[in-house]
Formats: sequence, structure tokens, C-alpha cells
Amino acid sequence: MMKLTGLAFAAGLATLMGSTSMAEPVTATPGQAVNAVLLPKFLGILPFDQANRGAQEAAKELGSTGTLEFIGPTPENSAAGQIEMLTNATTQKQNVVMLSNNAGDQIAPAAEAAAAAGTKVVTWDSPIPNGAGESFFVAQVDFGSIGTVMADMAYDLAGGAGEVAILSASPDASNQNAWIEAMKQAMTGDKYKDLKLVDVVYGNDQSEESYNKALGLVDKYPDLKVIMAPTTVGIVAAAKAMQDEGLCEKVKVSGLGLPAEMVSYSLNGCAPQFALWSFVDLGYLTYQASYALATGAIKGEVGEEFTAGRMGTFKIEEDPGRQGAKRVLMGPFTIYTKDNVEAAAN
Amino acid sequence: MTLLTRASPQTLRLLALGLALLATILFFATQIEGYLSPRMFNRISTSAAVVLPIAVGQAIVIMTRNIDLSAGSVLGVVAYMAGQLLSANPDLHPILAVLFCMALGAGLGALNGLLIAWGRVPSIIVTLGTLALFRSFLVEWSDAKTITTASLPQWLVDLPSANAFSVGGLDIRVTVLLALAAVLVTGLALTFYRPARRFYAVGSNPDAALMAGINARRTVLTAFILSGAFAGLSGFLFLAKFGNITVVAGLGYELKAIAAVVVGGVSIMGGSGSMIGVLMGALLVDTIDNSLTRWAVVSEFWRDALLGGLIMAAVTVDTLASRQLTRLRKGGTQ
Repeated sequence: MMKLTGLAFAAGLATLMGSTSMAEPVTATPGQAVNAVLLPKFLGILPFDQANRGAQEAAKELGSTGTLEFIGPTPENSAAGQIEMLTNATTQKQNVVMLSNNAGDQIAPAAEAAAAAGTKVVTWDSPIPNGAGESFFVAQVDFGSIGTVMADMAYDLAGGAGEVAILSASPDASNQNAWIEAMKQAMTGDKYKDLKLVDVVYGNDQSEESYNKALGLVDKYPDLKVIMAPTTVGIVAAAKAMQDEGLCEKVKVSGLGLPAEMVSYSLNGCAPQFALWSFVDLGYLTYQASYALATGAIKGEVGEEFTAGRMGTFKIEEDPGRQGAKRVLMGPFTIYTKDNVEAAAN
Repeated sequence: MTLLTRASPQTLRLLALGLALLATILFFATQIEGYLSPRMFNRISTSAAVVLPIAVGQAIVIMTRNIDLSAGSVLGVVAYMAGQLLSANPDLHPILAVLFCMALGAGLGALNGLLIAWGRVPSIIVTLGTLALFRSFLVEWSDAKTITTASLPQWLVDLPSANAFSVGGLDIRVTVLLALAAVLVTGLALTFYRPARRFYAVGSNPDAALMAGINARRTVLTAFILSGAFAGLSGFLFLAKFGNITVVAGLGYELKAIAAVVVGGVSIMGGSGSMIGVLMGALLVDTIDNSLTRWAVVSEFWRDALLGGLIMAAVTVDTLASRQLTRLRKGGTQ
């Protein structure tokens, strides 16, 4: 009996020690050789370029003696190109690949092969939906809270009641789909009972498709008050469409947009409110986390904490949106209006 | 019946296409509230206007028994670079801006044409290569910057909503007129200008064309230069209409153009086709697309499949009908 208690006590102590040592945030030793690849959905648009700027900044600060390559497919070849590039990075024995996934679960086998060959896969911006092969996901914001923010913006712009429609990117973009789900969830709350979500359409991150879909929405729903576009391409296209048709007084556009692209529409009232986080910070944090993972400072287990340079301490936790997957939560995001959009645009 | 049997297959094909267009419009008029309205006319005409020039260029290339898969990438490069040019020189005359777009497109098209005509590489291979090449160039060139409406001169921003004239309550926009001009000029040239007939000759029988003393290489090169120039004109219209240009501009436009051309009755085997057919093809595809977007019955996911199905149906009906009528005609003459 006594023995058992002693054992239990020892075990308890060990657990306690274990957990205290886990709770101590680790700092990766700078100056090690980490060969890393930053792999965006595709090359050539501003958000991914900003993420690269952040990652390069972090790599410089950590003094990695390895390489940091910013490579990605061209836009017309996004999904297939990403899978190919991930496979190539594995063959090249890169230490870590930072991936903004645009290939849904199709990329999971390539990610699992990479992990098995010793190339870690850290996702950012857009995760692998089933989590297979990925060490963890660096989430820009809590996907649930983004739903609430979008619901709140819609609520404000519609004046508390009326019809709302969503203009998304592609039907299989896992981040957008998660945000739309979260927004629907948020809108079940009593506050939003007079808001009606009438439709979800997809512009596939193409300006002409998004533009035509936005016009289709206003034709189809004559009482529509808000178009919510959780995509930087969609929101600009929708705002331009409303402006061209002189509908800005009637239908407001909102969602997630880049201040640099949205300035004129915020100032002229077509898109009075929209939100976004910093892609520079997202790239910075992703590199910090990937460096810590590749150097073995962290293992990628739930509960581990690590320091990420100027951004402070972060923790690996269960991803509430994807069962069995892990995430590092960045947050927060900024809501832009005519008062702060100009300053952020430059 | 005699009237039908006496008409040429080409005319019959246009007749079938016109009936298909009419049927489509009538069907959706019963389905969508306020369908037969000036607003809907504007939606479809301005959206078809962007595709039309690129389809005209594609048609010329297809007539010569070639294909230009790079046209969408050419459109993207031109829209982006013209946007840059106009941001830097807002005082540039609109005519010069259009000429710049067409010249840049023609230059890129010439690259295709030289490789195909003198390099003797099949056009599908060359333009598949330049499809990626031009797009990659744009990605490098753009440095991930977006051309925004705010940086463009006011006349260009106002252009898409500028009205040329109104007929019976229907507004004809300036951009629509520009696209129609491209169709008209090309159509007239193909009918009345002898050198332009070479496109048909080279496409229908390259060996015979050679025997007849036609320089096939130069003809193919010209076709690709024209295709590039028209893709450039589409690039200009794209820039004017959408204003915000990133590296994805014009992605997939080559397929839209090919769809319009094929539905419009231009034979993929070369040697036949007309501009009025291309115009009707572009209108039919765009009408179906825009109408499905507004039709509550089909969900987002079935729309693309339905559009594909309707295009195939249009082509099948067209082929069967003209075959049947040709047989009738033969029967009539015997």
C-alpha cells in the first residue's frame, strides 16, 4: 500500500516535472543550418510576398546558415505544382517546407512521404484539411473568431437586419470553407436573427469570375444588403462591380482585403469595413516555429511553448477545427475603415 | 424545304446557332425574373465584349489548322503592363494605349508564329510552352504588386460604364462597340480581302495552298501575330473593366475563347468558319454562363458541369443538323 503510494507519488512528481519543463518556453539556438522552403499557393500576389518578407526577416534574425528559398507554382498550375514542389523538396532533403496549401487533401500523401523522409512540413495560411503529414499549422487567426468578426461586420453594414451573401474563393479552399462555416455558426446567435445568409458563390480567386458572380448576386437577390468576401481577390472585384453599377449605396462589400488594394473603395463607401491580419507577421512566425522544429528545439507536441523573436511566446495546441491536428495561433487581426486604411496602405 | 436545301452548310449552321441562342434566351426568360431587361443585356454584352476579340484571334489561328493556347497568358501580360504604363503616364492618349496593347500582344504572338512556322514545332506544343512562359514572365515582372484602379487614369476607370448610344432602351457600351469593331473588320477582311482568304486555304489543304503559290509559313505567322494582337485588345478591355490586375489576370481565357470559336462553328480541322459564327458562339456561351449564375435551380457545383454539357449539346446538335441538311440537299439534287 505504502509502496504503491510512493510509486504514485513518484509518478506524479515525474509528471509534474515533465509538465513544468514543458511549460517553460524554449528558445531555439540561433546560427544553425536550416534549409527551408517557403511554398505559397502560387507566386505573384501581394499577401504571399509579404509573408516571404517576414520569413526572410526571421531567418536573418536567427542567423540560419542554411538556405531559405521562396518558390511556388505559377497560378495556372497551383495544386499540381505544389505537390510536385513538395516532393522535390523532399528529394533535396530540405529540413522544412512551409506550405500554404491549395491542394486540399490531395497533397497529404506527398506531405506524409516528406515527413517519413525527414523533411518537416509546417502549414501556414491554409492547412492540410485532414492534417496528415503536417507537423502543425500556423494559424493567422482563430478560425472560429473570424466567423464572428465577419458576422459582426455584416450586422453593422446591414444595419442589423437584411440579406447577406458570401463570395468565396474556390469551393475547395480549406481556409475559406472553415471561415464560412464559422460565420454560419456565429450567425445562429440571437443577435443575428434578422440577418439572412441567402447564398454562397465562388469566384475562384479570379477577378472576372468574382466580378460576374457579384453582379449575379445583386440580380438574383434584389434586397441584398451585404456581400461578404473572405478573399482578397473577391473583395476588390465585388467592390469594383458595385462601384461600376452605382450600387454602393445599396449593397455594401466587406470581408478580408488588403488595405493597399482597398483604399479607394473604403474611402468612397463601397467597402466601409473589412478585416485582415499581417501577412508579414504570419511569415515571420512561421519561420520562427519551423526553425525551432527543424533544429529540434521543439518536437511539435501539444503543450510545447517557444519564443518567436519580436512576436513573443507561442504555444502548440489542439486545432479545434480539425480533429487530431495541431496549430500555433497567431492573431489578432485589424478591422480597417476609412480612418485607418490609408495609413496601412503604404 | 427548298429554301433549306438550297442554303450553304455554313448558313445552315448559323441558322442552327441562332435558333439555339433564341431557345436559350426564351428558356431563361421563363425561369429568371426580369430576364428580358436592359440590365441583363448590359451584363451579357459587356462580359462577352472582353472575350470577343481574343475569340476572333483564336478563330483565325484555328482556321489555319493551328491552336493558340497562350492567348490567356498574353492577355494577362498585356493587361498588367498596360496598367503599369498608364499608371506611370496618365496623360497617354487612349488611342495610343490601345495601340500599345495590340502591339505588345502582336509581339508575343510573333514569337509563337516564328517557332511554329519556321521551327516546325506543332502549335499545340509551342503555345502550351508559351502559356506557362508568358505567365511565369508576368509573375517575375510584377514583383507581386497589384495594379489598382486608384492608380489608373480616370478615363479608363470610366470607360466600362461609358455609353456609345442607345437603341430602344438598350445601352450599347463603348467597350462593346470596340469588340464588335474587331469582329466586323476581321469578318469583312476574311470575306472581301484576297490575302485574308489565305488563312482558309492553308487550313483546308496546306499542300494545295503551297502548290497555288501561297506562302504557308508567312500565313501562319500572320495568324499568330493577329491572335496576339487581338488578345492584346482583350487585355485592354480586361484592364478597363476589372481595374485591379494581378498575375492571375486572364487565366483560362484561352479556353473561353476556344469554346466560343468551336460553338460558333469554326472547324477545329481548319479551313472553315465565319466571324458572325464566332460572335454568336461567344454570345451563346456567355448567355448560358451568365444565366446559370442567376438561375436558382442549379447549385454552384452543377453550374460548370451544366455549362460544359450545354456546349457539347450545342456542338452535337449543330453537327447533326448540318449533316442531316447536307444529306437532304444531296437528296434534293439527285
